[in-house]
Amino acid sequence: MEREVPATQALLSARGVSRGFGEGATRVEVLCGISLEVLPGDLLSIVGPSGSGKSTLLHLFAGLDDPDAGEVHVQGVSWKSLSPEERARRRGAAIGFVFQFHHLLPELTAEENVALPLLLAGTGEAEARRTARECLERVDLLQRAASFPRTLSGGERQRVAIARAVIRRPRILLCDEPTGSLDPAHAAAVFEILTGVARERAGAAVIVTHDREWAKRCATMKTLTASGLIAVEDSRLPESAEGGVVPGGAAGIPEH
Amino acid sequence: MALAAFLGLALGVAALVISLALLSGFQSHIRGRLLEETPHLQILPSGRGDFILAEGIGERLGRVAGVASVSPVVRGRLWISVRGQSVPAEAVGRENAEGLRLDPQHARTLGAYTGDEVLLVSSRSRLSPLGPVPIVASMRIEEVLSSPAGRRIPEVVLPIREAGRLFALPAGGASGYEVRLADPSASSRTADAIRGLLGDGVRVRTWEELNEALVLALRLERIVLFATVSLIVIVAGLNLAATAAVLAATRTGDAAVLSVLGATPAQVSSVFLAAGGLVGAAGTGAGLFLGASIAALLDRTGAIPLPERLFALSHVPFRLDPVDLGAVALLSLAWSVAVSWGPARTAARGNVAEVLRGA
Repeated sequence: MEREVPATQALLSARGVSRGFGEGATRVEVLCGISLEVLPGDLLSIVGPSGSGKSTLLHLFAGLDDPDAGEVHVQGVSWKSLSPEERARRRGAAIGFVFQFHHLLPELTAEENVALPLLLAGTGEAEARRTARECLERVDLLQRAASFPRTLSGGERQRVAIARAVIRRPRILLCDEPTGSLDPAHAAAVFEILTGVARERAGAAVIVTHDREWAKRCATMKTLTASGLIAVEDSRLPESAEGGVVPGGAAGIPEH
Repeated sequence: MALAAFLGLALGVAALVISLALLSGFQSHIRGRLLEETPHLQILPSGRGDFILAEGIGERLGRVAGVASVSPVVRGRLWISVRGQSVPAEAVGRENAEGLRLDPQHARTLGAYTGDEVLLVSSRSRLSPLGPVPIVASMRIEEVLSSPAGRRIPEVVLPIREAGRLFALPAGGASGYEVRLADPSASSRTADAIRGLLGDGVRVRTWEELNEALVLALRLERIVLFATVSLIVIVAGLNLAATAAVLAATRTGDAAVLSVLGATPAQVSSVFLAAGGLVGAAGTGAGLFLGASIAALLDRTGAIPLPERLFALSHVPFRLDPVDLGAVALLSLAWSVAVSWGPARTAARGNVAEVLRGA
């Protein structure tokens, strides 16, 4: 399957990445020359106002979109060099994606939704369902395995989506506002699961959020400003046993 | 939307099934009559004179596998003459003919009726002290009856002994044999067996060859009807194309999620193709069931009556042919998948990031 990436090699790297939308006078440059590396063990939060390009950056990381300039590598391989089929296979194996609005398929049960990535990868149905139940147990939802998404609460749906994102044991978790649609209690639970899963897989997680309070809990927090530049808040502080709470409130320091 | 596509396809398929069953009903009736009235195999001498009794052709044919019965016939041309009128005619002598049977066409030309005495003048002659004179016979008309279906030239039927005398054949001789088979659809195979048995001296023709024009016309009628009524299914399938397009347009979000989860473009399009195929399969299945049920019901109850004198049938016959049903199912399914193809491809080629930004 995936070849092992040396501990020092970036799981994800963006070099001079720019991306804009629209044509002519209506064109908006969302990302301008962003460079960023995500190393094994990183727990990175990206905060920033709406329209600053947080989601766009995640899409570029996941190979769902191509930059206008610059290159994005996943585990040392440029997305550009891959065909659509190869991209799909690499994305499925290396990356788990969690959305703000879970995006579960309404026709499938929780268990089937979670099993989907394995089924798409060609795993047998019995094996996929068994693994799906294990993942649901991890997010404490085994008892709802046969439920359809419409009968689950918002927090439960998001936990199902997380189980789906980690079922193939990806080394990279990309989370787009994972707690955005949840109340504080559920958000805390979901955040705990995400950070726990990322750390346990010896991988990395990139969490995009507009909520600085959650962002501060990550080992590293970066701010994507409206001008599209990444500003480092701080610090790669050594991760604390409690989950790497980082003092916030730092001013954005432009990287470029 | 999907329901409309399902219903449209089901009704189209049902219409096609009923039309084909109706055509099959009539055609199998016509074929049945044809098989009753014409020989299944005709054996004629080839490059030689008539068959003679000593050859034992009749007995040898009777032993061929699949042969139900063998009857010798004597054929020739003669003049029918009555009250100064005369017409030339093809004549055939049969073992089971009890008297002279005239075709209505001859009877009209001659102004002759059942019971009239007619003079038959053979094309063969015999030698008399005055030189060769034609062989003649005087006979009473037993009945006036149409020649069998599929025979282009009307013929006169008379007992084989009379015919043998008129055409100067030795006793027990025959100008050909007519064979009936247990299974008429095996005619070609049995014909080959007979050719192998009797060798070069005979010519064997099957009932399909003897009635080539009619058999071809029936087949052509079938193809034309299938092509015409297929248009209903084609149009109904376009409804499914619209449904597939709407599905692809409204479920772009789900297609994008599948891509994010690692589905290849081919896998994404196969999901949409399967959705179209599923509606297509359900519509086809329902249509086959509906059409077959209606056709079977109409046939069993005889719900559509016919003037029996004209058609020799009391009601419109329906016959379900498995080959027809298979062809309809194949057409409908293939078309369903074909029309879902475009939208499925579009769904798979959508810009995932764009969709996710909008979602």
